[in-house]
Amino acid sequence: MTVSPGSATQPHILARGVCVDFTLAGRVHRVLHDVSLSVPKGGFVSLIGPSGCGKSTLLKVLAGLLAPTAGDVSVAGVTPIEAVRQRRIGIVFQEATLLPWKNALDNVALLMEVAHGRRSSDEIRGRAADMLRLVGLEHAAEKRPAQLSGGMRQRVSIARALALDPEVLMMDEPFGALDAITREEMSAFLLEIWQRTKKTIVLVTHSIDEAAFLSRKVNVMAANPGRIIEATPIDLPYPRNEESYAAPEFARATARLRRLLKEGHREAVAMSAAEPPQGARPLLEEGESTAQRAATGEVSQ
Amino acid sequence: MTAIVNQETARAPANVDAEAKRATNRRAAWSRFMPPLALFVGVVVAWEAVSRIFRLPEFVLPAPTAIVEVLIAHQASLAYAAFVTSQEVLWGFLLSAVIGAGVALVIARFAAFGRALYPLVVLFQNVPKVALAPLFILWFGFDLAPKVVLIVVIAFFPVAINMLVGLQTVDANLVALMRSVGASRNEILMRIQIPNSLPYLMAGLKVAVTLAVIGAIVGEFAGAQAGLGYMIQFASTQMQTSLVFAALVEVSVLGMLFYYVIEWIEGRYIDWMPAVA
Repeated sequence: MTVSPGSATQPHILARGVCVDFTLAGRVHRVLHDVSLSVPKGGFVSLIGPSGCGKSTLLKVLAGLLAPTAGDVSVAGVTPIEAVRQRRIGIVFQEATLLPWKNALDNVALLMEVAHGRRSSDEIRGRAADMLRLVGLEHAAEKRPAQLSGGMRQRVSIARALALDPEVLMMDEPFGALDAITREEMSAFLLEIWQRTKKTIVLVTHSIDEAAFLSRKVNVMAANPGRIIEATPIDLPYPRNEESYAAPEFARATARLRRLLKEGHREAVAMSAAEPPQGARPLLEEGESTAQRAATGEVSQ
Repeated sequence: MTAIVNQETARAPANVDAEAKRATNRRAAWSRFMPPLALFVGVVVAWEAVSRIFRLPEFVLPAPTAIVEVLIAHQASLAYAAFVTSQEVLWGFLLSAVIGAGVALVIARFAAFGRALYPLVVLFQNVPKVALAPLFILWFGFDLAPKVVLIVVIAFFPVAINMLVGLQTVDANLVALMRSVGASRNEILMRIQIPNSLPYLMAGLKVAVTLAVIGAIVGEFAGAQAGLGYMIQFASTQMQTSLVFAALVEVSVLGMLFYYVIEWIEGRYIDWMPAVA
């Protein structure tokens, strides 16, 4: 059940030629270079790559938290900032970022209260309780974050993101701070949530297994400058469960992702070795960038 | 400046049997109060022994028993002096808290004005404020007002700085989430920054209250007609060293009382740890 990029349906998230430059100590650094991707409605796409490949930066651009230096991004047919304003985007960070003085229910209600411009109401509390039930934490409504485990805190954070019923869920290494066993549990939990709510999900991760297990398509990124080197479809049927980890398709997919990441890494090392000794790579000249793109055989989507 | 994190506020697991919990609390209280109490008694006994063995004259170093005698003999005048000083400490401290918190809120909320105000606050902090005491006497007389003003200029700073740290160490991602649903700066201040700053504020208040006691005594040294500081100065000119020490005992007890009242309020109302950003 793969969605080909050329399908007739309008992509839900579309990025074309996105570049992001940061200026640090008077030097311009290219963090993202000519990144394009598309995610169909209800799709589940991962961004995977080594540290410094700009995967979190790309997510920030898609989520309207950062304006790109160049390129076009649309989410549900509008700009990300407009999509945020229309509450079509929910965000989950690596840290749960809950308020330590509020219990789980009030934390879930927080953004709804602000969005609806009032302190609290039965409607908001009811909705917050529904969200806690959705993430399996109805019994922990009165508990403060300090009384919850890392996985439970992240579930609260997901419930908070879902409370305003966004169409898209942007997740920045949401399980990165959790232990391996909790991670797998949370992966299965996220798939279940995805299938029940039909959200479009973009997930940043540095775990090959997590990306392959969850996603329909994995965008493999490389650093220096940050770019997508391949959008790898994962031909593993849903619903996926523990047995999916043992499936030959899963093994093939993870092997391919691993190879791509290694190639991307070797390239980046080779490139940084050719750089001047000042360190980070300066803004590329236009001609150089084209030549380098040809050399890396960048795959456009 | 780091905030003091009160370990006692960490909650015990809810499923512990109530009776066992009370016993544990008793043991915890015992092991908490026992060491400082034993040390205190030891020091007092050693002091008494030294002054008896070496027959120190009372105007040089009175023995603890002599101080206790004076405490009892002069209890009425000491109580009145303590009442006067307490009033100065209380009003000075409350005003320091309000002004310190106000300065922190203004700096955090109005960034441009804050950038102008902050260096001035730091500059003012480096003025030796004890030297201002005679000026305040000149301007505000010999009663409550000059002491309260002196306390405020000494004690508002730790309140302001601690609270400012608490207002500013909020999770940037959380602020981004709030903004994404259209939260105004005031809403972010009210819902996130101010609650987040409360544990820091309490740490600042604890420093401020001890400074307030010092401020009251210094203010009375500069010019007063009553109070423990006035009594200390008066007694020392009369070589009544035992009375000096008796007044010092009352000052210390007063300071401790104020300090533990704040700690109690903190333990009662601020029952979460600051989120470490």
